[in-house]
Amino acid sequence: MDLSRVFFTGNSTMNLERMPNEEKLSLCRRYYLGGFAFLPFLWLVNVLWFFKEAFLKPAYTEQPQIKSYIKKSALGLILWVAVLTTWITIFQHFRARWGEVGDYLSFTIPLGTA
Amino acid sequence: MCVSSAAGVCSSSVEQKIYVELNETVPCVRLLNATHQIGCQSSMSGDTGVLHVLETQSDLDWILSSGPHPPYMVIMETAFFNRSVMMRMKNSSRVSGVAVIVSKTGLAQNFSPHTTCPNQNTGVYGSELANCNVTVWNPLGNGLSYEDFSFPVFALKDENQTQVIRKCYEDHNQRVNGSAPHYPLCAMQLFSHMHAVTDTVTCMRRTDLQNRFSINPEVLCDPLSDFNVWTSTRPLNSSAKGHAANESVVIAAARLDGRSFFWEQAPAAEGTVSGIITLLAAIQALYPVTQEAPPPRNIFFTFFQGEAFDYIGSSKMVYDMEKNDFVIDLKNVHSILEIGQVGLHSGRSLWMHSDPVSRKNDSVNEAVSEMMNRMESAAAGLSVSVGHPSFSQPLPPSSLQRFLRAGPIPGLVLADHQKSFSNRYYESMYDDAENLNVTYPPGLTPDEQLVYETDAAKSLAEVATLVARSLYLQAGGENNSLSNITADPKTVAQLLYGFLVQKNNSWFRSLLLSAGPGPPQFYIGLGPRIHGPVHSVTRFVQYILANLTGTVTNLTESQCQNPSELSTENKDLFSYFWVSGPASVNSTGEPFCVRASVRLSEAVSPAFELLEYGSRNYSTWTESRWKSIRARIFLVASRELEVMQTKTQQNC
Repeated sequence: MDLSRVFFTGNSTMNLERMPNEEKLSLCRRYYLGGFAFLPFLWLVNVLWFFKEAFLKPAYTEQPQIKSYIKKSALGLILWVAVLTTWITIFQHFRARWGEVGDYLSFTIPLGTA
Repeated sequence: MCVSSAAGVCSSSVEQKIYVELNETVPCVRLLNATHQIGCQSSMSGDTGVLHVLETQSDLDWILSSGPHPPYMVIMETAFFNRSVMMRMKNSSRVSGVAVIVSKTGLAQNFSPHTTCPNQNTGVYGSELANCNVTVWNPLGNGLSYEDFSFPVFALKDENQTQVIRKCYEDHNQRVNGSAPHYPLCAMQLFSHMHAVTDTVTCMRRTDLQNRFSINPEVLCDPLSDFNVWTSTRPLNSSAKGHAANESVVIAAARLDGRSFFWEQAPAAEGTVSGIITLLAAIQALYPVTQEAPPPRNIFFTFFQGEAFDYIGSSKMVYDMEKNDFVIDLKNVHSILEIGQVGLHSGRSLWMHSDPVSRKNDSVNEAVSEMMNRMESAAAGLSVSVGHPSFSQPLPPSSLQRFLRAGPIPGLVLADHQKSFSNRYYESMYDDAENLNVTYPPGLTPDEQLVYETDAAKSLAEVATLVARSLYLQAGGENNSLSNITADPKTVAQLLYGFLVQKNNSWFRSLLLSAGPGPPQFYIGLGPRIHGPVHSVTRFVQYILANLTGTVTNLTESQCQNPSELSTENKDLFSYFWVSGPASVNSTGEPFCVRASVRLSEAVSPAFELLEYGSRNYSTWTESRWKSIRARIFLVASRELEVMQTKTQQNC
């Protein structure tokens, strides 16, 4: 796989203008599939990056597929945000009360407060 | 702006113009046990508040409800440091810290921050006799030391520094004609952030997790520990652990420690020092006679450290005896005499407390009655008299209770109180020389004060004579040798001076290296794990015992450190001390080697050896760690600048 297509390094640009449509679709698909490896940020990047392409540009052949990828990425992203927010809220609120379990789940434990 | 000077001390000229650092302050720190935390805590970046001096009731209302610049940092006069005021402060959100002025002016008639029923959960009594159902031992206790405060509480002991603070308050913060003062106001910031929280179990668990998984492990708390000191009239082989053959031992015990509300402050005059001095003087009186006319039984003298915190030292010794890890075991013990608080009897009688539960057994009852009779006959020729309180009264808080937990042993606790303590300042900062009536006439030099025999010295010497004679009789000695056993009032006077007034005196200096000024403090501390060598009080008692009971040898310094190479010396039976020798005007002393059968034994709660941090049977007290404890005052020009000024740290 040509990494310069997935990770833009050096002189490559993030400018989708000059990219042919098949490449745009394949990039979008790669990011969509990559997000399933517990990488919701890939979905976030996918949504932000291809939003204009999918919904604001005039239609072209690959656009419906890109649209569907963006919608599914957005769905996955919202799901992840909901789960993480819920877990973080519960943990911050109840960690002190959980005693031993809370300590084993923590990476750093604050000094001097419960 | 940070300029390092040549000495390596970082000074920031702007900071020095803003802040006045207060150097002579004493904090209150956090202590934890199996279930609770006690003491005080500040925020990580210190607690700040506008100063207000609490002198009258209207000041209290100003602080708690009407003052316009909360939160306040309260400068509390001595008279207001009591439970009701501190509880109101605790429940108020307008108080960010308290600095207590420690002085004798305005001191109440009694002040004891300890609980009313000390060590009630780790004694020998179950529910019927524990919890002070029969006698409340410390009725004047307000329990402040065992409360948990979420703001820092400091003690201001230095009069000059208190004056500086008062001046700042009077210049800027004082109310004029009842109206509120205007900015700029004088403010104080106290730093005493404690790392440990909740209880010992949590703190030890987090320390373990840190040690196992963290790159930069932080220890959060340390168990209170130190050493017990013991000696015996006939030397015991310290390498032979477990039951000692043909040894029947009478134990004479006293406690070595005390505490107060603040960290490392514990003058403990009546609570602890009276017992230590009595036992030391009794040992000195007994020693020559026990070498000339040895009684059938051995007499084992021991000083227990950490008794204020659920009997750390005595529980450890009993635990070692049960595990056969000590030079004697419980079957060797014939009886126990403990010296409790004996300093305030002043012409009245002393009391022999005994345990009613074990006395239900006939043989124990008979042994205890015999012990009381021997004590009464020993008191016959002296000016002290002894009596016994009512049969159904349980033992006061004492190390004897831990021995009784292991089995019925006949024992007595000698004390100057029949029911409740006579000590009105039990375990507080005010239990000092004045509480024992140890005062010296003006105009004496320190060396003259060292040997001046106060009335307290003479009275304690009488008690020591009584104890020594009773022990001799209890060990099976003959009646006719009794008159040779007399405690020396001069030794008692020197001990009183050294333990209550000034530890940097010529006698202590001749025994070991010099110590700081002022009286020694008897708080147990964290012992050799943290503070390096043994706690100073333990060291003093050890060397004084060696001085009083040891023999001078002519070993050289290197031989003194390693006596096992010499065939005449026995490292198993004796310890060897290299002492400085008495200094005179012309020269420092010539050091020499002293051989004595004085030893130290570890005083760490068995809960920490067994790793049962939530133990109900043993002491689980730990002291939290902290990074920095300091205090400073400064002027704030407005509320916004106050926030900025409190965040300024020394970035060096």
